[in-house]
Amino acid sequence: MSAVWRTARASMRRRRFQTAVIALVVMFSSGTVVAALALLAASSGPFDRVFAEQQGAHLTATFDPAAASDAQLESTADLDCVAEAAGPFGQLATTLAVDDDAAVEFPATIAGRDDPAGPVDRLDLWEGRWAAAEGEIVLNTAPADPGDPGAPLPVGATVRAGDGTVLTVVGHAYSFGQTADAWVTADQLEAMGPTAVQMLYRLDDHDTAADVEAGLDAVTAAVPAGSLTGAQSYLALKERISAELGIFVVLLTVFGVLGLAVAVLIVANVVSGAVVSGLRHIGVLKAIGFTPRQVVWVYLTMVSLPALVGAAIGTVLGHFLAAGAMSETFREAGLGNPVVSPWADAAAFVGMPLLVLLAALAPAMRAHRLSAAEAISAGSAPRSGRGLRAHRWLSGTPLPRSVSLGLGLPFARPGRTALTATAVALGVTTATFTAGLAAFATEIDGLIQRHEAAQIEVVGGPGGPSGATGLGDQETQDLLASLPGASEVTANLRMPVTAAGFVQSAELWFIRGESSRMGFTDQLVDGRWMDGPGEAVASSKTVHENDLAIGDDVTLELGGRTATVTIVGVVMGSGTGTVYADWSTLTDLTADVDGLGHPISYEVRLEDGTDPQEYLTALTGAGLTGQSTRQSDAVSIAVVGLATMFALMLGTVAALGVFNTVALNARERRRDLGMLKSIGMTPRQVVTMMVTSMASLGVIGGLIGIALGVVAHREILRLAAAASQIDMPASALATWNAPQLALLALAGLAIAIAGAYLPARRAARLTIAEVLHSE
Amino acid sequence: MNDATQPPPVLVSMDGLRKEYGDTAALDGVSLQIRRGEAVAVMGPSGSGKSTMLNMIAGLDRPTAGAVTVDGKDLNGLNETGRALFRRRTISMIFQFFNLLDDLTVLDNVALAAQLTGVRAQQARQRALELLDELGIADRRDLYPAALSGGERQRAAVARALVNRPALLLADEPTGALDSHAGEQVMDLLIDLNQIGQTLLIVTHDPNLAQRCASRIVEFADGRIVGERTLERTP
Repeated sequence: MSAVWRTARASMRRRRFQTAVIALVVMFSSGTVVAALALLAASSGPFDRVFAEQQGAHLTATFDPAAASDAQLESTADLDCVAEAAGPFGQLATTLAVDDDAAVEFPATIAGRDDPAGPVDRLDLWEGRWAAAEGEIVLNTAPADPGDPGAPLPVGATVRAGDGTVLTVVGHAYSFGQTADAWVTADQLEAMGPTAVQMLYRLDDHDTAADVEAGLDAVTAAVPAGSLTGAQSYLALKERISAELGIFVVLLTVFGVLGLAVAVLIVANVVSGAVVSGLRHIGVLKAIGFTPRQVVWVYLTMVSLPALVGAAIGTVLGHFLAAGAMSETFREAGLGNPVVSPWADAAAFVGMPLLVLLAALAPAMRAHRLSAAEAISAGSAPRSGRGLRAHRWLSGTPLPRSVSLGLGLPFARPGRTALTATAVALGVTTATFTAGLAAFATEIDGLIQRHEAAQIEVVGGPGGPSGATGLGDQETQDLLASLPGASEVTANLRMPVTAAGFVQSAELWFIRGESSRMGFTDQLVDGRWMDGPGEAVASSKTVHENDLAIGDDVTLELGGRTATVTIVGVVMGSGTGTVYADWSTLTDLTADVDGLGHPISYEVRLEDGTDPQEYLTALTGAGLTGQSTRQSDAVSIAVVGLATMFALMLGTVAALGVFNTVALNARERRRDLGMLKSIGMTPRQVVTMMVTSMASLGVIGGLIGIALGVVAHREILRLAAAASQIDMPASALATWNAPQLALLALAGLAIAIAGAYLPARRAARLTIAEVLHSE
Repeated sequence: MNDATQPPPVLVSMDGLRKEYGDTAALDGVSLQIRRGEAVAVMGPSGSGKSTMLNMIAGLDRPTAGAVTVDGKDLNGLNETGRALFRRRTISMIFQFFNLLDDLTVLDNVALAAQLTGVRAQQARQRALELLDELGIADRRDLYPAALSGGERQRAAVARALVNRPALLLADEPTGALDSHAGEQVMDLLIDLNQIGQTLLIVTHDPNLAQRCASRIVEFADGRIVGERTLERTP
């Protein structure tokens, strides 16, 4: 065994370059594998993961403190349907103005909590500390870098509440369930005068809107009549997150799988190439008396040691890179801070060296079988006679000779060429995916947010932030329409309603105003938008789940009253049971809209050229608070950022594959290179020849990669949409255009050139004297 | 027109050439001149420095000290690209093991050297074909090197070496891998080339080759020139 070890060590020293290439490729591949596995784990059910981590509230209810005592509210925690409860917490809907810049003012619901932990809504206090005394406030913000635009106010800043109270920011915490915009101590809130009291519940049964509604009914029955002023189900949040992230999760999963495939492919290529290029050495070892088994061990040791070193470094680097990137992405999206599973680290650290062994085993076993003379002969040069016709044809073309020689090189090693081209193709597939994802994300953001159709959203009515103004529904809408810059105002009220024949209760959006101009028409996948009373539009998931079709009548029932609507269109949407209907349907179902206790959301379409910030300022001046609808594309930005990181990693791994192929080719063709230089081939011509040999693969791999990327992107979107029962409008899938595809075609070329350049330079500097004078 | 009484101009000039590999001096102060039209054979035991000297003249390696001038060009002043262009325009080499590209036909191997200088494929092939014809292997032009005999391969290598009309042809053991018959053919070819004015520098162990082909023999030992004699070539 010591002879094996000594020989392997000497061989590694002699082939330092190749040993370094193996270590480098395994390092990058291990890093990619860690990132890919971590991504796969984190992408699995992100909402449920973070919601469970924070013990999120299934139901957030607000009460009138004058109508229900704290003791009465606390007793609701003992209800059969309630698993856990937190509160009562005082709540105040107000505004917060940045103290040193009075022009910056934002609406805020402040809750009085002495502790960020508790049985429900365990807050992620990610910066600073919790409020411990009067005059201190903690802001609810998704974790972000302090330098980012839109980052929260720094710790130490002061804000002035609507009642004039000056508060110092002492920390930033994040409530995934968005139970409040900021927190102060219970005493501080008491001093500011709460307008409501908040209770947070986790329910035993909470899967459907009806379950949550049943929980709310039980709570309502347990407190004095009329004391409930508002309620919010976690399902609305879940629906929004799912709509924004659902498809992305599938695409990120594909990225993870692609990462694994490219890493495995490149490692197999590099390692088997290393053994094949060592066949001559194997022959020599056999000739001097090494047994076949010893030869196999020498080669396995030679590739395993650098692989182990590479895997160890790559796992550590991949761990930190993945942790950093995922943390940023998921936290930007408000989806917590996923950790890189130790299993991902272990799989990379153990799996990659095993893969290396496996990849080396096949050619090593071939070496085991070959006689010494056969091995020396097989390892001396690529088998001649391959691609001769191509060489002959290329010789006669008017191309510069260095280019035509380069174009012929890939034919000498068809297996290696195919593996390298496949790696480039997968790299380009990833780039194509990323580009498609970015375009898709932009399109989907626009469709979901509808910010082209409505720029401002104001939540009013009972329980909403604007409820404190005391304005009624119609008065609020009139006020919004009267402010400068308002072009059109629509109102919508969302609530669960029993629908005959539905497997679950329907989530109705009752819309008042010109709903056809609210941006929903862009989401249509079938039929048309409703244009009057008695008509309704359903989300595609609702249609699939309830086996509906356009033209079907649906009977809605609320509090014993019924109304029938006809489905006239289907829109993209993941909302379970989501149905859009005219406001008149709501008034058919109830005579007392205010009495329903559900907030009303107003959407304001601004006149062209109006600055949304100016409108928001005017809104604050009128005693109302609102927000821009263009706020939540952080998810897609973060997802695209992560995808870009992956594309770069996989592009690098693919380029390393090219690097290795050129290095092996140059090593095997040392004699030819020496001869070419001896007859006057300049270093630049050598570089051109070697780079051209891979550029052709880059072009071919690039074209295949684009085709694969486009087809896979569309098909996977279609499959993902079908699996989620979401249909998508054609505009969401038509994400490609000719200039974009032309640019992507260059990605393959870029990978090939980037990978080939350094070993080509090395080949150009080859010392030729000794390779020419003897054989 | 050269004056017949004047000696031909110097083509290669080495002055105090020294090459060290670590502590070992492969060349130790070699000075030598080769005139146009000469056929010089360099002989000596293995490791005497003759191949190292060939590398210096071909611009394949750089001396530790001393100067090499070929056709008026000081090789020490040339960078790698300059040396490549020098090899392309001024010299050519033939080797013991031919060094033909296995993937190219005989015709394309010969044309390759011309194509690298920018000559169009058709023109390069035409010139290559003429040379193959002159060397008697035109009928082998479409074969690959593996299908040729050793002598034919070396003729193809000579054709490739001549395609750019070099001022100096360097031959490193040109008959070392050939049987005696093929070796004789190659010797005849070299003699013919020299007789039409081609300057030759032949590195060889073979006294017969040196005697037949060279007009001057330079003997090497331990990196130094230890002897030199002029020959009357046997017809």
